[in-house]
Amino acid sequence: MSDQQAPEQHGVVADGAGDVAAHSQAVGARFWVATAVGWIVIAIGLRGIVQHRIDTRPGELARFVIGGALIHDLILAPLVLLVGLAVARLVGGRLRTPVQVGAVISATVALFAYPVVRAFGLATNNPTSLPHDYATNLAIVLVAVWLAVGVSVIVTRIRRT
Amino acid sequence: MTDVPAGPPVTGRLASRLGSRLDGHVPKRLAGPVDWALSWTTDPDGPLRQGRYRSPLRDERVAAVLGATLGLLFSICFVTGLWSHLQQHPQAWLSIPSRPAGLYRVSQGIHVVSGIASVPVLLAKLWTVWPRFVAFPPFRTAAQLVERIGLLPLVGGGIFMVFSGVANIDQWYPWHFSFTASHFWMAWVTMGALVAHVGAKWVITRRTLTRPSRRPVFADADPVLGASAEADAPAADGPAADAPAADLEPEGALEPVGATSSRSGLSRRGFLLTVAGASGVLTVVTVGQTLGPLRPLALLAPRDPAIGPQGYPVNRGAANAGVLDLAASPDYRLVIEGGAVPVSLTLADLLAFDAHDARLPIACVEGWSYSARWSGVRLRDLLALAGAPPGADVRIESLEPAGAYRTSTLNSGQAGDRDTLLATHLDGQPLDPDHGFPCRLIAPNRPGVLQTKWVNRVVVT
Repeated sequence: MSDQQAPEQHGVVADGAGDVAAHSQAVGARFWVATAVGWIVIAIGLRGIVQHRIDTRPGELARFVIGGALIHDLILAPLVLLVGLAVARLVGGRLRTPVQVGAVISATVALFAYPVVRAFGLATNNPTSLPHDYATNLAIVLVAVWLAVGVSVIVTRIRRT
Repeated sequence: MTDVPAGPPVTGRLASRLGSRLDGHVPKRLAGPVDWALSWTTDPDGPLRQGRYRSPLRDERVAAVLGATLGLLFSICFVTGLWSHLQQHPQAWLSIPSRPAGLYRVSQGIHVVSGIASVPVLLAKLWTVWPRFVAFPPFRTAAQLVERIGLLPLVGGGIFMVFSGVANIDQWYPWHFSFTASHFWMAWVTMGALVAHVGAKWVITRRTLTRPSRRPVFADADPVLGASAEADAPAADGPAADAPAADLEPEGALEPVGATSSRSGLSRRGFLLTVAGASGVLTVVTVGQTLGPLRPLALLAPRDPAIGPQGYPVNRGAANAGVLDLAASPDYRLVIEGGAVPVSLTLADLLAFDAHDARLPIACVEGWSYSARWSGVRLRDLLALAGAPPGADVRIESLEPAGAYRTSTLNSGQAGDRDTLLATHLDGQPLDPDHGFPCRLIAPNRPGVLQTKWVNRVVVT
């Protein structure tokens, strides 16, 4: 199955016929070969999970895998959508882009840092476990991110004038 | 935030996000709950259909760049993870070399760095394609059904791999399964799903990445869902700034942060740079746990390579391992079994050997590492003393009464390396109990969990 599709077709969709043809081309040998190979590899993983079920606890593992996807799709993603809407509604003009940049980076860093800020993994009898004040450190990182965003806004405005 | 511009009215801007006719349709849709529920799908007549997601960031080009990046990062994680697995589960067909001494430190550092860097990329990728999850109907052909089934191992697996990996470096285990076994076998599931996904998206991705950037054409990405959306697009009379033509951003024209474009908000390139920025920030605030010069910036790393007993961190201290009394006991003996001559040494005997110095790293699987000067007796000297046959493998055992890592094995190459020591000193000082007093194994190119501490038995196998 060829990859050589007509690139000039993109951009204008006059009717659906061309796309159906393009799609049927895309869903060719490569698709089914990759699907077969991929599912063989998936099967290796599933077999390993079942063979080592004392360690992997397939039931609980499945809950985490499916639950992770559901939490993302049904809670996190809509939440981000709403925040995006709020930013679009509350912030306009020249500030919207820097606010979006700052918000995306801040939210990601905060999500990543949440377990250490809450000290979920703190070990007893081990002073090297989570040695920092992570709430303060997270605040420092976020301030640095927004300072960088602010500086870039100012630099951009100076350049324009 | 006070700078509210004289742009389109609020309703217009709202509509530009979810589709301009949302306000016109919702009251009608509320008539019946089934209709209303269906309206929240990508049914061609519903407000959440593909064409409604008007953000230019939900673009096949953005999805392709993020997908390719994620594929690369996951592949790096898979290869380095496999290497780590082979270290911890030695195979007969592969004799792990003892050199280069810092190899595992580098490979595991790359594993953790790549995993952390993939967090923002994964989130951005999922955000970009999220409308597809609520597509309706979910499939129309056998191929689409197969592809859709493959999304569960792909999305669920990807999220699990990243979440469990980050939780593990934080030593946070909100589950009862074994992290190592589950992370390893789920990696196969995830990579298999990735292979299938790459096959399904190969044509589109390659085409997208090799042609000049242009406005997204949903029909290209998904003919079934996209065709109706595209065909309908001109009829959607949103604010002028939202019209398709306004979204034609020239490829080279990167908007600096803070700039306005024909439409307010992030450009596609700006979005990709933001994701890269988020990955960069996460890397900078953690990589110092293994990269010395950046240590002061490692604000969010769960370990500091310069904080701990004798100035170095540990994962498992002597108290938690339950060896404090055993290690301090005058009855302590180091026993070497399996050779021609049984050997039993007191700590004083051990200290009477010619001390050998080696500068070697401790590289934890969790991504932190440090290099230090270790002193002690060469393992190969002890093996010679015990009359061990050349080429024998060796098992090292700990005083630790229980624990998954109370023993480790060395192949003959590792056991015979000139720097493989049963170390009694760290940076010239006797080992702290947390570092493995009376003696610990330290060998080149080896995961930290296999640098067995509180050693009391060496078994020639």
